[in-house]
Amino acid sequence: MHNKNKKILPFLYLLPTAILLIVFMIIPIIYTFYLSFFDWNLIAPTKEFVGLRNYIEVFTNPVNQKVILNTLIYIFFLIVLNFLVPYFISLIVKFFIKKMQGAYKVLFFIPSLFSLVVGAMLFTWILNPVSGPIAYVMKNLGMTMPNWSNSGILAITVICFITNWKVFGYNFILLLTGLGSIPTNIIDAAKIDGIPKWRLIWNVILPMNRGIGIYVLILTIVQGLQYVFTPINVITTGGPYYGSSNMIYQTYLNAFVLYKTGTSSALAIVTFVVFLVLLFIEIRFVEGKAKKYV
Amino acid sequence: MFKKINLWHILLILIVLSAIVPILFMVSNSFKTLRDSYGTMLNLIPTHPTIKNYLLLNKQVNLLGLTWNTFLMATIVTIGKLLTGLLTAYAFRTYQFKGKMFIYLLFVATIFVPFTIVMIPNYLVISKLNLLNNIWGVALPQLCDATGIMIFLKTMEKIPNTLIDAAKIDDIPKRKIFFNIVIPILKPSIVSVGAIFFINSWNEYVWPTLILKDKASFTLPLALQNYISSEGGTNFPLAMALSTIMVILPLIIYLIFQKYILNSISNSGLK
Repeated sequence: MHNKNKKILPFLYLLPTAILLIVFMIIPIIYTFYLSFFDWNLIAPTKEFVGLRNYIEVFTNPVNQKVILNTLIYIFFLIVLNFLVPYFISLIVKFFIKKMQGAYKVLFFIPSLFSLVVGAMLFTWILNPVSGPIAYVMKNLGMTMPNWSNSGILAITVICFITNWKVFGYNFILLLTGLGSIPTNIIDAAKIDGIPKWRLIWNVILPMNRGIGIYVLILTIVQGLQYVFTPINVITTGGPYYGSSNMIYQTYLNAFVLYKTGTSSALAIVTFVVFLVLLFIEIRFVEGKAKKYV
Repeated sequence: MFKKINLWHILLILIVLSAIVPILFMVSNSFKTLRDSYGTMLNLIPTHPTIKNYLLLNKQVNLLGLTWNTFLMATIVTIGKLLTGLLTAYAFRTYQFKGKMFIYLLFVATIFVPFTIVMIPNYLVISKLNLLNNIWGVALPQLCDATGIMIFLKTMEKIPNTLIDAAKIDDIPKRKIFFNIVIPILKPSIVSVGAIFFINSWNEYVWPTLILKDKASFTLPLALQNYISSEGGTNFPLAMALSTIMVILPLIIYLIFQKYILNSISNSGLK
């Protein structure tokens, strides 16, 4: 009896999490997969089976093709702004300055306390091409500011900058911590040998910090594509002509604005497959140590 | 004698400014008249400081109700995530069982699930449960969180085995080990992870916009969004007043627990 108890107990502790995961994640994923083979509008009593038509629609419809291309543009800007820049700055703070490291950490993190809705509104005002402060300064210098909301790619850039304002500090701290966990004797040895700092960083530090580097890089893509939802919805609602929409936002538009549940579900499944590939890369390079739980 | 100034600090201070100056303009505009917010937009100090925006805001929306909704939702989500996270991490820390690795990787995998793939089914479930326009409808699908599990697990691994084994030998009930040994040791990370959960939930936008359509059920970010579209029109100072109100609580939490919060974020990345 006692022995049996022992076997059941861990699962009892896991039960609340398990129930929540099954009800609100695993079953929904299966159901979305199911919906991706049907034509439905979220309300009608019957669903029409259409086979792979929704998936064909995802890849052949010009709007969806545009959205997939936009998603790649988003990924590019997110990597540059939310990964490479914070990484560069964390290297500066770790290896090139000696004072105020703590203060920078505290200050960089402050925008993370804000809702992206606030960020979106603030930057729409700051970057308003007609009546914003930057346009005002530019006008006095004899320049005109482009109307970025009329151009898909400029709108994407602005939207990525807004998420950068919010997540910069967070990613900076993660990367800085990774750099901090590299044994100092390696760094000291290189210093004694007179190896230039940048070469030391490139040849030693970055490879040693690869685990957390890849972790932050992948998180930047996976979470970034979802973070931009808020500024997209607040500022452009995906416009002009889906020019600033991405796969995540298009999935939402199809489900709750266009009521095309099938296309929405197929888009969600395609997104999920892409994220799963990233997950496998993460497990391969980052969770290696997790083997301790086997 | 001048010391050599490290030029990198100039770059870093510029980044600090780009993070902080927009926030200063948010506060500044909330105390400006509508005319000044356009006329003297580059002035950080309002020329005719006024609290009229806050008074008008209080007339237009139910500030107390909005804040209460947001607070309630964030509290429910935070408590839920802490409880499930602690229980799960405890099971992993103290027991050996079949499929441990698989379950662990399953938790990692949940971080990679885009919300769009659960959005429609969860919406249908919440609507079936009659929880649309209800804070519980927002909270229910997000009562567990893999990041919390990871951080707790990492902290629990630091508890020496001897401590838990000693308690087992003394035949102290498991429940007591959990409450009297593990929880007190974990207090700092419970506080900081809880603070992070609370702030994130307080600011949440996407899922609440799907569930909360009735204004009486709105949270602060949803109410704020109204000021950019149709209704509030272009009254920027008013929107900034609401933004300022919204950030007060997260800012207080950050000021109090800042050290713990930054530590926990560091921990969440360490593998």
